[in-house]
Amino acid sequence: MNRLQIQAKICGVTLLGEIRNTPELDPGKSLIALKWLDGCRWKHHYSGRFVERRNPGDSTLIGFVLRRLLAAILLVWAAATLVFLLVAAAPGEPFDELREPGAGAATAERLRQVFGTARPFFPRYLDWLADLLQGDLGTSWSYRQPVAVLVRDASLNTLVLAGPALVMQFALGLAAGVAAARSRRPLTDRGISAVAAALYSVPSYCLALPLAWLLAVRLGWLPASQMHSPEAGPLPLRSWLLDTLRHLVLPCVALIVPTAAGIALYVRDQMRAALGRGFVSAARVRGLGRREAELRHALRVVLLPVAALLGLALPGLFGGSVVIEVLFAWPGLGRLAYQAVLARDLPLILGCTCLMSVLVVVGGLAADLAAAALDPRAREAQE
Amino acid sequence: MRDPRRAVTRRARGGGPWAATGIALLALAGPWVAPYPPDRQEDVAGARLLAPLTRAHALAAGPHRILIVTDLHRTADGWEFNRAGRRQTLAALDLAEEPARRFYLLGTDTLGRDLLSQLLYAARHSIGLAALCVALALVVGIGAGASAGLAGGLWDEILMRGVDVLMAVPRLLVLVLGGTTWTGLARLTRAETLAFRESGLAQAARAAGASAPRLILRHLVPQIAPLITVFAALRFADTIVLESALSFLGLGVPPPAVSLGDVLASGREALHEAWWVSAAPGLLIAAIVLSVRSAARDLFRLHDPPSLA
Repeated sequence: MNRLQIQAKICGVTLLGEIRNTPELDPGKSLIALKWLDGCRWKHHYSGRFVERRNPGDSTLIGFVLRRLLAAILLVWAAATLVFLLVAAAPGEPFDELREPGAGAATAERLRQVFGTARPFFPRYLDWLADLLQGDLGTSWSYRQPVAVLVRDASLNTLVLAGPALVMQFALGLAAGVAAARSRRPLTDRGISAVAAALYSVPSYCLALPLAWLLAVRLGWLPASQMHSPEAGPLPLRSWLLDTLRHLVLPCVALIVPTAAGIALYVRDQMRAALGRGFVSAARVRGLGRREAELRHALRVVLLPVAALLGLALPGLFGGSVVIEVLFAWPGLGRLAYQAVLARDLPLILGCTCLMSVLVVVGGLAADLAAAALDPRAREAQE
Repeated sequence: MRDPRRAVTRRARGGGPWAATGIALLALAGPWVAPYPPDRQEDVAGARLLAPLTRAHALAAGPHRILIVTDLHRTADGWEFNRAGRRQTLAALDLAEEPARRFYLLGTDTLGRDLLSQLLYAARHSIGLAALCVALALVVGIGAGASAGLAGGLWDEILMRGVDVLMAVPRLLVLVLGGTTWTGLARLTRAETLAFRESGLAQAARAAGASAPRLILRHLVPQIAPLITVFAALRFADTIVLESALSFLGLGVPPPAVSLGDVLASGREALHEAWWVSAAPGLLIAAIVLSVRSAARDLFRLHDPPSLA
């Protein structure tokens, strides 16, 4: 019987092991046994069949990025096609409301010719795809403007709302979660957790209405809709900024609170688990203070899944803020998509959904890449 | 350090069963508990936007004319009352019947309908729809995930890429709620199936001649049932939130059916005059979501105590 002595270092502990049956590691065949020295006695660590042999060249970051990018492009194409199919298959004519009530069949036929929906499905799809590849999203039926321009302007407006909201969500959620997990008084922990659980359960649009009632209707401190005041155009820059900021507060708070509470709950649980791990005690034993051990060692482990969460929150902020944007009449992407659905404006629906799909894919990709860059184990797990 | 005995009390204390009972009661008992028909508009002008806890009376002032009035007093020759913000009188002779009591616990909406009755019916509708969605998602998700995990190969690849595509489409625009709820469940089931496939349990069952459906239904599903239950509960809460959002935007169920989001939308229109029409459905949605999520959390703790306790 062949035996090969090996040495491995796992989590800073040197493990001694041996491979049996085969002179080299062979997936599915080699039996492997690992043991470690505890004090002066050998303890059994692991024995079983060696499962997989990893080729070290496979886990490079660049190959991983390229593979994921290719998959992402295919995914966006498939999602856009699905939306095209769904919209094309929806019952009724898209421009019913454009027609006069008494107009005859000839008018309907002409409308169909003008908007190009009289053509068979497949050539229409191919044309649309060819235009899309050249960056041409078509012309909106209800606005009579290029979809690309509409979507660009709306995205910028959404960014003004979603950007600060995203940053605040994670800052507040992390701070509250870490504070709850680190607190030594159970009352603080339980208090923060209970408040967070309650706030997490209130959907943003349910929170927005009482907030708008109190701060906009009752107290009149903040405006309840739009992005600027009607007279804000010729204002000097400083008061224009202040005006936008005042309009930003209500929708932003409504977006921040539920998500921040959810993040706080998640961070609290993760942090609690991390604080109980051996390496935090080991850091304390090495002489680090409680604060430093917890924030430098335990928090680092927690930040990893939170970084992934950040990528996944990106499409949620763009797509999930539809209700908030409609509610506060914020001229962003969500509201544009909503109006496109109401007006059955096919090119605009497709433009909005394509952008949102890209965001979902990019967010997921960013999350995976961040995880892969931060943690080599994630890179290997992806293969 | 935590007292190790605490874990036991913590398990027993969970409010999960209570939450589930409350929601089931809310969904089932609505029509019997509701004080009035949810769509009854007796007197739009008189009953419009009455505050919560209003005691009112219904006066039959003619064969087809009912007045909803507050602060009713009998005077020498008839009745004196407040209606639509004005003090009015009515001769006793004009009254067809004795005044009937009306009590609006949560107030009334812009069309003079009792908010409590509306909410009870709307909650029944929302909960039923969400339950239906989750039930469908369970069947499709477990079926797709388990078959992908067991069969592997091309079928697995096709199904999972399909799930990726569905997840990339914005949820608010795929108006079929059940169309996207199953995707997460399919992923979860597939991951669990991959682990299950290699287990001794699966090998023993296969050696005894179990077919694929039997392997899934009798061996896999009981294994992953706890995890699936927790996941389904969370999906249920999400579906209620999403369905209410859709109805709130006017993209939900067609008009005769009323969901919580519709009540909330009517509250938005009345926001400048009345806070309760939007606050009551908002609180109800939050309460449902909170109880479902805390029940899911309790369930999760029960199955996997060390990671959370």
